[in-house]
Amino acid sequence: MKRSVGIATATALVLALTACGGDTGTDTPAEDVGDNGSTVDETPADGGESTGATDGSEATEGGTAGGEGAALPDLSGEELEVAAVWTGTEQERFTMVLDSFEEQTGATVQYTSTGDDIAPVLTPRVEGGNPPDVAFLPQPGLLNEFAGRDALKPLTEDVEATIDANYAPVWKDLGTVDGDLYGVWFKAANKSTIWYDVEALDAAGVTPPETWDDLVTASQTVSDSGVTPWSVAGADGWTLTDWFENVYLSQAGPDMYDQLTNHEIPWTDPSVEEALNTLAEIWGADGFVAEGALQTDFPTSVTRVFSSGDAAMVYEGDFVAGVIGGETEAVVGEDANFFPFPAVGEAPAVVGGGDVAVAFTDTEATMALMSYLASPEAAEIWVAEGGFTSPNKSVDTALYPDDISRGIAEGLIAAGDAFRFDMSDQMPSAFGGTPGQGMWQDLTDFLADPSDVQGVMDSLEANASKAYGR
Amino acid sequence: MSQTATQVRPGGGGTPARTRRPPAREGRWLAWLFLAPAGVVLLALVLWPIVYSVWRSLFDRSGRAFIGLGNYQRIFTDADTFTALKNNLIWVLVAPALVTVLGLIFAVLTERVRWGTAFKLIVFMPMAISFLAAGIIFRVVYDQDPDRGVANAVVTGVHDVFSSSAQYPGARPRDADALPPAAAGGYATADTVEPGSTVPLPLVGVEGDALPEDPSAAQAAGEPAADAITGTVWFDFARGGGGAPGEIDDNESALPGVVVQALRDGEVVAEATTDDQGLFVLEGLDPGGYQLALPAGNFAQPFRGVSWLGPDLVTPAIIVAYVWMWAGFAMVLIGAGLAAIPRDALEAARIDGANEWQVFRLITVPLLAPVLTVVLVTMIINVLKIFDLVYIIAPGSSAQAANVIAVQMWSVSFGGAQDFGLGSALGVFLFLLVLPAMLFNIRRFRQEQQ
Amino acid sequence: MSVATGGGAATVPETVETQRPPKRVTGPLGGWGSRITAFLNRGLVSVVLTLIAVFWLLPTLGLFFSSLRSAQDNTASGWWNALTAPAQLTLDNYQNLLSNEGMVNAFFNTVWITVPATVLVVVLASLAAYAFAWMDFPGRDWLFIVVVGLLVVPVQVALIPVAGLFGDLGIYGTRLSVILFHVAFGLPFAVFLLRNFFAGVPKELLEAARMDGAGEWRIFRSVIMPLGLPAIASLGIFQFLWVWNDMLIALVFADSSAAPLTVALQSQARQFGSNIDVLATGAFLSLVVPLVVFFSFQRYFEQGVLAGSVK
Repeated sequence: MKRSVGIATATALVLALTACGGDTGTDTPAEDVGDNGSTVDETPADGGESTGATDGSEATEGGTAGGEGAALPDLSGEELEVAAVWTGTEQERFTMVLDSFEEQTGATVQYTSTGDDIAPVLTPRVEGGNPPDVAFLPQPGLLNEFAGRDALKPLTEDVEATIDANYAPVWKDLGTVDGDLYGVWFKAANKSTIWYDVEALDAAGVTPPETWDDLVTASQTVSDSGVTPWSVAGADGWTLTDWFENVYLSQAGPDMYDQLTNHEIPWTDPSVEEALNTLAEIWGADGFVAEGALQTDFPTSVTRVFSSGDAAMVYEGDFVAGVIGGETEAVVGEDANFFPFPAVGEAPAVVGGGDVAVAFTDTEATMALMSYLASPEAAEIWVAEGGFTSPNKSVDTALYPDDISRGIAEGLIAAGDAFRFDMSDQMPSAFGGTPGQGMWQDLTDFLADPSDVQGVMDSLEANASKAYGR
Repeated sequence: MSQTATQVRPGGGGTPARTRRPPAREGRWLAWLFLAPAGVVLLALVLWPIVYSVWRSLFDRSGRAFIGLGNYQRIFTDADTFTALKNNLIWVLVAPALVTVLGLIFAVLTERVRWGTAFKLIVFMPMAISFLAAGIIFRVVYDQDPDRGVANAVVTGVHDVFSSSAQYPGARPRDADALPPAAAGGYATADTVEPGSTVPLPLVGVEGDALPEDPSAAQAAGEPAADAITGTVWFDFARGGGGAPGEIDDNESALPGVVVQALRDGEVVAEATTDDQGLFVLEGLDPGGYQLALPAGNFAQPFRGVSWLGPDLVTPAIIVAYVWMWAGFAMVLIGAGLAAIPRDALEAARIDGANEWQVFRLITVPLLAPVLTVVLVTMIINVLKIFDLVYIIAPGSSAQAANVIAVQMWSVSFGGAQDFGLGSALGVFLFLLVLPAMLFNIRRFRQEQQ
Repeated sequence: MSVATGGGAATVPETVETQRPPKRVTGPLGGWGSRITAFLNRGLVSVVLTLIAVFWLLPTLGLFFSSLRSAQDNTASGWWNALTAPAQLTLDNYQNLLSNEGMVNAFFNTVWITVPATVLVVVLASLAAYAFAWMDFPGRDWLFIVVVGLLVVPVQVALIPVAGLFGDLGIYGTRLSVILFHVAFGLPFAVFLLRNFFAGVPKELLEAARMDGAGEWRIFRSVIMPLGLPAIASLGIFQFLWVWNDMLIALVFADSSAAPLTVALQSQARQFGSNIDVLATGAFLSLVVPLVVFFSFQRYFEQGVLAGSVK
């Protein structure tokens, strides 16, 4: 399950929810980035130039180049509300993206953080006929749900053209429900990355493993060296579903993965049992998982590796880099590094996630914002800040603040159709996306007692049957 | 103040029985005019919704298919909802009683100290703050890490007074076959050794902090005397990897201070502690076979406190937070009842030689019975509807273990599932649970009116 | 503590007096022995109560000190370390919070929800309570029994229907929707409390006013309202605290631009470990107002508790 996690730091408090109306608009977005991006070590020197081409004044005149960017109309006096799960550092950085839109169009955009759980916030608002104009849904399942309730507005041809120009077809398909295009995949995640404390692995003499067996051996070696190998965020069930998905996709293969995603095979299938047993080789091994995992939330699971030194490795998606940069003293690329999730079966798995922007209203301003979000210039603002991977193929990858994030992004773009979307994101959210329920809870239980494979499978199947309604 | 406290009023608020009959006035329409604003609001936002909820609860999630009592059946068959029911039962059985008893004790005790008023203020204060703030307060208290959470800081502090921590927590033998876990804890050699031999005891998993600041390199033991067993205990892991398992390699550290025992038929016959070079000598041994043991005391993990918010303890932990908030309420009510007890009755008993406990048990408590009942009933209704505290305090991994009806109602309707059918059924179910209290209130009220 | 309760409301003494006279108890203790025991008891009681008081204060103190320490300090060590290292104390969290538009906005939302919801309840309930207490109309007793019945209705039974209703009216998500729901669920208690108090106003006063030719409205305004002030104060404080502290109702009805402090904070609470600086500070700010109200009007607050709960 993909969740862009809120990372509130002291700096996160200084954020402006609503951009200041008094901006002169002479700043280019890239300059804004440079001014505010204090947590980023290097802002690429060419950042200003590359986004300078889509400078506000030019864009508003409609003279954007070759379908890449969107022609933004003058929207002075218009007010928009955008809702997403981002808090803290991520909120701060996304607000910069919105700031640039405000400068270019004159519209006022209010950002609303829904916190971890967006569905419970949006649902009543949709029921009540007062949704935000644009919301970022962290799960395709939610996209389907809201589209099925006729709550979403199809995107206009202009927006579609922007998407066609900037995205691989897979992303357009992922934003389409029953032939109607609803979503712009603004943010993507590569969730097959394992992050490690360079010093700890060096001390143990371990090199990044390429197979699961090597990973288990490496874990044992790290443990022998006197360091607990793993920090697991057991308090956030979604990290556990991601673990499972990486193992399952690589071990059972993409076809089985798709079938399990759609609940066409039961959770009592032998392939699930095999995956859980495999998972237990790490989750259940003596001394492999740092104590108190069940009380550890995701940001803490990262800081336990890179600040407290409780463990050597933590598994989660590329956004871990953002947490390391924002919450710890460790420098990504020096003290912290990643290796791809090793192959469990024959081929390594690439599991991904993302946040899709959808429109609940279809005013000119809303569609202009959607178009803007599909443009490379919007993504590039956040790209340069770090902790962000864009599925937008027109984004200048030189802007990524370091080799690591650039590598992650290039891998994602290059993978094209070859990666699978996060399983739990595509499931009914009652099963795949709700704290304390369904898959989140069952895998939490499994982490607490990795010997009870059968019990977990039975519970998974019972909960899935309930959520899928069959 | 919580909504529930303001809603819960057992009994008809003490209208004096001598209730007046207002003179019949010509302008009846005027009365309706006075009533109309409140009436309209109550009708539209309280009475009608109750009816609608009952109706809606008979339909499925979509609201289109009529499924009769299907949703109510799900309340009892669905595992999550059933957990919520079970927890609510625990809440109702424990929390009100605890609050009432503590309130009674506090009320009685405060009468005996001069600073009783200040004490009352302190205990009563949490009532003024929100469940949310209380939830956050107790998240801080229950933090798992003893360095951060005051509850575990106290628990580990007390624990450490009685047992000191081991020198090498988590360390273990390199070769689990040669040195398997012993029945008595720790590890003991699988094979027996004769005096006059040298036994290497390689360990791994030694935490960096546990090593001495400048550890000596491990050394192989020299030739022992005929009645002695010698050997080395060392950290069989070279920095950066490499080295042969079980061999003392160049840059491997000695482990000083490890207790080594010689066992014969399970009895300890000799004991030694490793020196700075990791060497030990077990002397004065009769000929024969001995097992070497590394007792558990070397390796015990430090006590890291209690998982207050883990699945097992989360409900009791939240109940404690609840009691913290509401004991003051009970104390004030009971205190008022206490103040109204005729002093002469107590004095008479004391003069007759009753001790304080007898006075309390035989006079105070019976006289307070009506007040105690009211507190208990109020708390039961309040506890049935508990939401915020559970919602805030339970971390994700314990959310299900801590579930209660009101939280479940919220999650199924406004959380992921968006099931307004089941949500309505849960709402109605809660309503049914408080119905006895409502009838009790009405009966008391009518009695008072007569 | 004062037993004086909101008007004709709590009548604990009456209740108690209806009890059987207690049995006489005889015991063996007396004289010096009992005096020494009493003295020891008092010392013991003092010690026990002090411990309890510390236990009761500690959690709130913990929140307070946490809010005065940086996020890094809070991650690294417990709040009690600030007692020995006062240099850790800083107002940065508060500064950050106060310059956080979202949180400031949420704070004002709380104010703009709480004040109208309190005033409206007091006004609507006073009118209705007067009618119930001093006006004659058919079905009066029966209607009041309905009000008594409504005292315990859980809000859960109304959330879904009212959400739909507000949606149809186009006010869902606004502060108004939160206010209206609070008013609705605050009214039964308010009417109940005030009616009982108003009914206790001496009949002669009303008769005299009527003799003078005052109409119902005038009597309500110039006789009942001034005399009922203590009860109204109790009610107002209760309603104020209830609304101020509410999370559930705002969680359901308020969108993010209308969300009060409680809702804004809970959305941060899921990532508790890393948001402690915002949470502790926000929570402390959110409880300052109720505490000020509590300490300033403590007498009325207690009276409200007594009037509301005790017969």
